Parts: sequence; C-alpha cells; structure tokens
Amino acid sequence: MEKKNIYMPMKARISRSEALSRDVKLFELALPERFDYLPGQFVMLSLWGKGEVPISITSTPGRSEGIEVCVRAVGQVTSAITSLSEGDTLWVRGPYGRPFPTKPETADILIVTGGIGIVPLRPLIELLLSDRKSYRHLDIIYGSRNPSEVLFAEEASKWEEKGAKLILTVDTCDTDDWKGCTGVVTDHLGKAEVDFKDCTAYICGPPPMIQASMRDLSLMGMPDERIITTLEAHMKCGVGKCGHCYSGGRLICDDGPVFTYEEIKRYNLRPGMDLLD
Amino acid sequence: MEAESRVMTDMYIIDKNHLSFWLRRMHDGKTLIAPVRTASGEIVLTELHRMHEAALDGPALMPSPKEFLLPQMEQLFCWSEDGLEESLDKRRRMVFGIRPCDMAAVKILDRFYLDGGIDPYYAARRRNTLFITIACTQPDPTCFCLGLGTGPFLKEGFDIQLTDLGDRFAIEAGSEAGNEIIKAFPHIFKQPGQIDREDIYEARLASQSRFERHVNLEQAARQILSGRLTDEFWESVALRCFECGGCVYNCPVCTCYSIIDRAHSSDSGRRMRIWDTCMLKGFTRMAGGALPAEKKPYRTKRWFHHKLIHWPEKYGLFGCVGCGRCAVSCPGGIDMAAVVQMMKVSNQTE
Repeated sequence: MEKKNIYMPMKARISRSEALSRDVKLFELALPERFDYLPGQFVMLSLWGKGEVPISITSTPGRSEGIEVCVRAVGQVTSAITSLSEGDTLWVRGPYGRPFPTKPETADILIVTGGIGIVPLRPLIELLLSDRKSYRHLDIIYGSRNPSEVLFAEEASKWEEKGAKLILTVDTCDTDDWKGCTGVVTDHLGKAEVDFKDCTAYICGPPPMIQASMRDLSLMGMPDERIITTLEAHMKCGVGKCGHCYSGGRLICDDGPVFTYEEIKRYNLRPGMDLLD
Repeated sequence: MEAESRVMTDMYIIDKNHLSFWLRRMHDGKTLIAPVRTASGEIVLTELHRMHEAALDGPALMPSPKEFLLPQMEQLFCWSEDGLEESLDKRRRMVFGIRPCDMAAVKILDRFYLDGGIDPYYAARRRNTLFITIACTQPDPTCFCLGLGTGPFLKEGFDIQLTDLGDRFAIEAGSEAGNEIIKAFPHIFKQPGQIDREDIYEARLASQSRFERHVNLEQAARQILSGRLTDEFWESVALRCFECGGCVYNCPVCTCYSIIDRAHSSDSGRRMRIWDTCMLKGFTRMAGGALPAEKKPYRTKRWFHHKLIHWPEKYGLFGCVGCGRCAVSCPGGIDMAAVVQMMKVSNQTE
C-alpha cells in the first residue's frame, strides 16, 4: 500500500462563512475525514485554477468537527477565496508545521498580536484560558489598524471574562466610542503586569511588529528562548520540498513556522525582510 | 533501484562488441535513455533507438540526468467533477552512460525527496529507473569531483558502473537490480585477469591526473563559518550575477520547484510543477508584494550557504558534486569553483 500523496488535497465544504472586516473572512470547513491539528499549524488551501496558499488554522483543536480558517484578501488566490461563501468548495491538505508549545513552564504569559496575526494565536489563547489557573498573569496586547478592523472583538471581551488582561490598541482611531488605546503594540508592553523574567511571550503580526516586539521584550529581560513567534513566507508545497520558504538553512514550513527569538537569531531568520537590510 | 546497503559483487569484463547486445537484451520493457548526439552536434540524454548512436565521449550533459527524476515540467494530478486523478509516472527506464558525479547527485536527491515526507512523483520514477554509469576517464576542464568522493569513479551508489579499458569494459554491480542484469547473461561476461586489473588501476590513475581544477569545499565551508566573509564579498559576487538561473537549472543537485494550475474549463484542469530558481527575485514574493529576498547579494549568498553549509548540516553531504555545469552555464563566471577561489583570495588579502 502506497503512502498518501503529500500533494493531493481533500475536498472541503464551506459550512459557514462570515466577513470579519472589510477584507477578512472566516470560513468553517467541513472535512471528509478526521483531522488532528495543534495551535500554530497551517493548511494549504486550494482553489482550482487559482492556486494554493498556506493559511493558519484558527479553530481550537477538539472543539469542533471541522476547522476554521481566516483569510485576508491580499493576493490572487486569497482574493478568490474570500469571494466564496457557504456551500462552496475548497480543497485542503495538512496540517503542516511546528505548532506552538501549549504548556509553557513560566508563571506568566504574554500575547502580543497585531492585525491578522491574531488568527494563529486564537486557538492558543483558548487553550491557555482553559487552563487559566496554571498561570499567574495572562495578558494580551492586541493592535489593529482602526476600531472597525479589530478581528474577533466579541471573543476578545470573552477572553477578558475568562481571566485575561486585554489591552486593545489601534493605529488610527476614527470613531468616538473607542475605549482602547492608540499607538503600536510595543508602546503598551509596559502595561502588561507580567514578570518579564518569568514569562512566555507569543507574538504574531506584520513582520516589522514581530521584529520590534521581540527586540523590546528581549531588552526588557525576557529570555530569548521564551519569546515565541510564527513566521510567514511564500510557500508552494508546505511540506519542505519546494524550497520557496528556505531561509538561514531552515524551512519555514517544516522547521517552523513557530520559532523562538533564540532560533531566529541563531539561524539569522528575518521574517519578511532582506537579510542584508 | 539500488538497495539500501552496498551489494558486494565481483567485477567482470565485457568485450565492447558485446555491449550493444547486452544493452538491447536487458532493457526489455524499459525505455533506454543514453547520451545521443543531436543534428546540431550537442549531446543530450534522450531515448536511444540505435545502439551505435550512444555518444559516451561528450562533456557533462546539459540538462543533467535529474530531469528523468524531476522533469522540468510535470503533471501532479488532474481535477474534474469526478474528483482528483493522480498522475504518477511509472514508466520503467534504464539510464545508460551517465557520469559518476551525476549518480552521486541522484543519491543526494534521494535523501532530499525520499527522507521525511516522501515525494511520490520522485519516488515512482526513482523506483523504476536503473542507472548505468561510466567512470570518467576524460574529465572536462570544469570538473572538480576529484576530492569530493563523487567521481571520477564511484565505490557505491550506482546500479552498474562501467570502466572503459580500451577494447573492453570492466563492469561492477552496486545494487541488487544491477546484479540481476549481469547474472542474467553470464556467457558474455568473463572474470578479470591480471592484465585487466592493471588496466583498471591505470585508467583510474590516468583519469585522476587529468583534472585541471582542485576545489576545496571543506575549506570554503570553514571560511563561511568563520564569519569573516563580509557583505561586501557577496556584493562583489552578486555584481556579476545576470539572474539567469542557469546555475540552478543545470545543477544536478538543485531541487526547488514551483507549482502552477492549468485550468482546462471551469471545472477541470491540472496541477503542474516546474523547476524554479532561488536566484530570481520573485522566488520569495509573497501575496501583497513583500519581497524577502529582494537583494541579489542575499540570493547568491543563500545559494552558496545552502550548498556548502546547510546540506552538510542536514545530510552530511555537500550540495555540490563537482560536475562543473555551473561553470559552463554562468555568463558572469561566478560558479562554485570560481566563488570558492574568490573566497580564498579574499582570505589572503585580509
């Protein structure tokens, strides 16, 4: 019996779709077979004739039959995917990549996220909150472009109810009823109540935000191996063969996408940036 | 297909007059691929119909034999209303007359495509392809396999290795499959005598003396790891890069590819994969336009680092077999041997 072909996706039906903001759509996918995954892993989504893209899984393992993915219309494939709705078909293979460590051995946890970066962190936050008693502080600093682009805003307030400290911030405030902060996420790192020396940080967002947050947290005394992020890269295969995501001797798809700051420094991985910049 | 461990077999001698008989008989059911001279005078690997057309005296073949395991373009599967249909190429092939360095490259490709997540397309072709190599007695001026252990003679890794002894070949099997096709025709092989053994020894010695290039990849790797190569060094290399991708396409070890969809109608089409090259700017372009590898010095550096540092780290082998194809194809003269030489010079001038 031959092993399963690593390039062949399975058919998935969109069982629910919801526009989360102007260009971001959440899809719930019903899959034909059992699908085990962990927070931080991704799938390759195909739309015939358009192509295939790596997309983070945003549902929490074990909480639903299918999976949830969140797609932002950025390129050709993602724009085509976001035009789909309930009942349409997508093709899925995965899950791929190294997941987040979900049982950090520190007293505190800090989540720093910006924009669509919340997507891979959402299942992690849910899992950590289900074990809230194991940690002293669980703080979330969540930045968005403007109040209307805060993804999962309702859910975020539920995280607060479940015992997380939530610091919301926007780059531009264009409404009068915004209760959160303004500025970039690194402006608000000082508001976290965590003990930076005994804390694990999970970071995801645009590359400059990841870079700045990692640097600042490291300077604030957090050990580099406890600063954890997830990188993105152009990928064709997702299984460590096509070479497109190769950087510093590592394949983002297979060795990552989750890396610690210590690894990023050691291998000279620069998320989304030229190494000679 | 070669077996996991080396199969120890005896060496035999076959008269050159018997070779074409043997090839004809043993390729039953398999497509015979060999170097053939085209009308324009080039020698390319292609299907061999008439035995006397095999051109075994040419330089390193362009493109390299990797195209029989990883074609420039291939179909992965078709999609239609009925679902997906996998397109595995299970044709049986016998590739005759390739150089030991190319065989050594196939061994590296095996590690890459068959370790971990098995690439089913590579695996299907590999399983159905038998390789008969010819030990190099006339290396090209660009060749530097000597010292890398990838030629001009192989100790293992081939199905069958021939050594040209003038009017006859010495023949060795390096796998079960190779062994079988020798055993199938016992009457045309004879045991080597004292003179044959001396001739083999002499052929090897003579071949080694014909190498014009001696490239020390170990030393180059050490120099990279020492951290003394500056960004300026890679900028000076990149100044001479034309971004043609020739080094990558012709390299028998380079593995990168891209995947594209070809739609036939609204509900049918095929997914293809094609060779790709990390030397091109768009290789890492993300949706939205971000270009992580925009600068040429970074891309050239990445290629050399990949071959000299990261391949050895992961597989214990350099990602280079010394075939010299990059030296033939690079219009800017920044092939592996040249850049290793540049490193040496930069080390001395520091």
